[in-house]
Amino acid sequence: MSMESTVKAERVVITGATKRYGELAALDNFDLTIEPGSFTVLLGPSGSGKSTLIRSIAGIERLDSGTIYFGDREIAGAGLHTSPEKRDLAMVFQDYALWPHMSAQENVAYALKRRNLDAKESTRRVLEALDRVGLSAKGANYPFQLSGGEQQRVALARAIVGRPSLLLFDEPLSNLDADLRERLRVEIATLTREIGATACYITHDQSEAFALADNIGVLRSGKLQQIARPEEIYRNPANRFVAAFTGTSGSFNGRVDSVREGSATIILGAQKIECRTTNSLTVGDSAEVLIRPSATSLGQSSLNSLSARVLDVAYRGRGYEHVVECEFGVISSVFATQSVARGTLVEIFIDPENCVAFPIES
Amino acid sequence: MALDTGQSAHDRVPSSFERSESRQFSQLRQFRKLFSRVRVTPMVVFWTLILFILVIPILLFLTVAFSPRLLGQGPQWFTLSSFTPVFSGAYGKALFNSLMLGIFAGVGATAIALSMAWLVLRTNTPARFLWNSTIFALFLAPSYLIALGWQRLFEQRGVLEIMGLQVEPIRNLLYGPVGICLVLMVKGTPFAYLVIANAMRGLGEEFEQAVRVHGGSRFEAFKVMANLLTPSLFSAMAIVFAEAISDFGVANTLSNVAHFPVATYQLYQGINSIPVNFPVSAATSFALLSLVVIAILAQNRALRGRSFRTLSGRTRPATMTKLSLFGKISTSTYIIGLLVIMLGIPVFGAVSASMLEGLGSLLSNYSINFSNYSRVIHSRFLLNPLIYSTEMSLIAATIAVSLAAIASKVLTATKPSKAKRFVDFFLLAAVALPGIVFAIGYIFTYNLKFINEIGLHLYGTSFLLAIAYSANALPSTSRSLVGNMGQIQESMMDAARVHGSNGARAWIDVTMPLIARPLLIAWLLTFSGTLLELPVSELLYPPGSPPVAVGIEISLAGFDYGGGTAIEILSILWALFVVAVAFFLFNRFAPPGWKRLGNLR
Repeated sequence: MSMESTVKAERVVITGATKRYGELAALDNFDLTIEPGSFTVLLGPSGSGKSTLIRSIAGIERLDSGTIYFGDREIAGAGLHTSPEKRDLAMVFQDYALWPHMSAQENVAYALKRRNLDAKESTRRVLEALDRVGLSAKGANYPFQLSGGEQQRVALARAIVGRPSLLLFDEPLSNLDADLRERLRVEIATLTREIGATACYITHDQSEAFALADNIGVLRSGKLQQIARPEEIYRNPANRFVAAFTGTSGSFNGRVDSVREGSATIILGAQKIECRTTNSLTVGDSAEVLIRPSATSLGQSSLNSLSARVLDVAYRGRGYEHVVECEFGVISSVFATQSVARGTLVEIFIDPENCVAFPIES
Repeated sequence: MALDTGQSAHDRVPSSFERSESRQFSQLRQFRKLFSRVRVTPMVVFWTLILFILVIPILLFLTVAFSPRLLGQGPQWFTLSSFTPVFSGAYGKALFNSLMLGIFAGVGATAIALSMAWLVLRTNTPARFLWNSTIFALFLAPSYLIALGWQRLFEQRGVLEIMGLQVEPIRNLLYGPVGICLVLMVKGTPFAYLVIANAMRGLGEEFEQAVRVHGGSRFEAFKVMANLLTPSLFSAMAIVFAEAISDFGVANTLSNVAHFPVATYQLYQGINSIPVNFPVSAATSFALLSLVVIAILAQNRALRGRSFRTLSGRTRPATMTKLSLFGKISTSTYIIGLLVIMLGIPVFGAVSASMLEGLGSLLSNYSINFSNYSRVIHSRFLLNPLIYSTEMSLIAATIAVSLAAIASKVLTATKPSKAKRFVDFFLLAAVALPGIVFAIGYIFTYNLKFINEIGLHLYGTSFLLAIAYSANALPSTSRSLVGNMGQIQESMMDAARVHGSNGARAWIDVTMPLIARPLLIAWLLTFSGTLLELPVSELLYPPGSPPVAVGIEISLAGFDYGGGTAIEILSILWALFVVAVAFFLFNRFAPPGWKRLGNLR
């Protein structure tokens, strides 16, 4: 059974959003546009303001200043705060937030109350939503009778059953184990796109972000560092923080030897490394080269390769990941189909397209 | 008794009322203008009620101890002279007696509660099943009823002497500090037990196991457990101390008969003297209140910075100690012995006294029958007072529980706020406020000239009695709900709001069901407590409409011991009937999800 027709997705436009808790600015003059029907993941460490942002979009938090628009409708602004129940959205919470006195079916049905449907239609939709998340046989169970994964599925069914124009996800997978997380991630991705709602998802897990997103926004200290498609974030991170937070296996410090359009040569001791850059480097600058996990491989001595010693090796199913130490630092996640023993001297090839240099901040 | 202060409610209506009518009208217009911009939300109503029924009456009354002139009670703007008699003479002695009683009752009740918590929760002693119903019964029984049960048995020409037993040595012991302390300890034990048992339930066996696997002996493990229970032991002692020194029931019965003065009875005598010296009464109240607040603050301070959070999702329930046959026999004997002392003797005293015809008279022929019951059924001290008390208790329990639900929500808000600190402070102070002080505060405030001048003629009305009952019950009811309210994750309310419910709807759909059982229990405890409440009833009842507690008092004061105890028994049976009906209705009609949650085990 599939969910019925898609909904009218909303564009969400946030301008100058500021929210302070005492001295701490959780959101600092924050701007963001989420395109209608898109799946946007906001990625950031603890304290970056992502929870405050999503709660402000939901209406649970009140902004100190700034505006939020859903389409043409202003829902937060100077002296204006539309209450959560009037925003026509749904949300999946980190701790599931299921109501323990209601069965799974009652939990899901609650979100349909605002639609004023007749009982028959309401029941039909609830059963359909439960079926869609694989829980049609457990509608009568109370939350305490369900596993963590099943509880979050009920929460997901509750979020989609009313076909809201905006779906919010507040780190919904962080309380689940790895296997469940992956399965539920797929369900979230497919279900959300099926109903066609605009989705905003927050997480601190970069692999989750890359797997789910049409667009990723990276947050730090209440400010948006960069928002772009995942490939763009990965290949051309706007700054060192974005690059570091979206996945590196190591970094080296060196000096800029030459700069061309979008790339640079960095001197590391007696060696040189080619890498990408954001054009903010000039010859002679001190620079840090951040290496993506996908940039490294074991190979022969060649251009863009470094000599290293294997410190550790871990079996990963499709091959082996090595941790190696070279003259300039340690690199992890060096992949090879064959295992190399600890202590062995090896050559590490670094793909210039998957490493990026930034000026060293004083 | 209530209006023997030399002034009646009607005497206190200012004769200048009519003349000031136009001035009031203009004041009203000013008020209306001032408040025209205030939006009436549930929280505004809540804060207004808290101010008018709790904060203002008590603050005004306590202020008069320092500034008699401010409230028309003397010439000085600021003085400490009202405190001089408080710490000397009869007041000083009574205050010292209260302090000593509080300390001994606190320590004693905590020791009993700790032993019972361990026996009931951690062993398989057969008598443990008797304990929970005893606890609930003790919560329902006011202290004066426990004291009266003992008195009826051991007094001169009491039940036991009529049965031909020589009880003078026990009477000498009972009619003194030992007996008074015993009754206060009995009354305090349920409070201490609940605090300690809740802490012990959260104490999984992993802490004990961690000590043992790292080389600690059984004794070392016990020491760790005792350390982890420290906060609850301190809390239990502080609560029983506060209950004991605030108590009026025992003060008005046993300690009065035993000529062992305590502070609350001294206050009562002060308010019944003519003319009433409000500044000294306020100073005594202030001293009494300070003792309790100091005890509670000392408890908080002693525990500051030490985290004793032991309850988590991973906590494993502790295994029960399996007792040997000797262990089972000895622990059961201990529990049954306690039950006899705490409940058995008072109940036997009251029931036997109620069935003895002629008890309290100088007759030498006594017979056992139900004549006291058939007589009091039509007594003016039973039926109408019981109906009146029931009406008042229904109103007071409903108001108190409604306000307490909001107050506990404010107290458990995760974000720190001024509102939270304010409610916390006032409820902490008000929990410690003896009922007698509360009642005197109401008498004082609602007889003030300016209160009458603004048209609030409330003294001597059922309205004032109802709000005094509500306000008196509010602090302890709020505190009792805080634990349950604190367990509700805020995200559940957020989820209700986000999925289409406004604040009120979310409260009804989510919060109410989650705390339905604790709310019901809080309501029933407030209802039962108010039904038999003594100090506020005694001092604030409207002329001609005595509540049932006053009816019992009047009967006993007239040496109708048989009739008085019969009214007492019938009132308790009525309270138990209401409790039983309420539980039956809840279990029969509440949705299944509501019944599963908030179970008191």
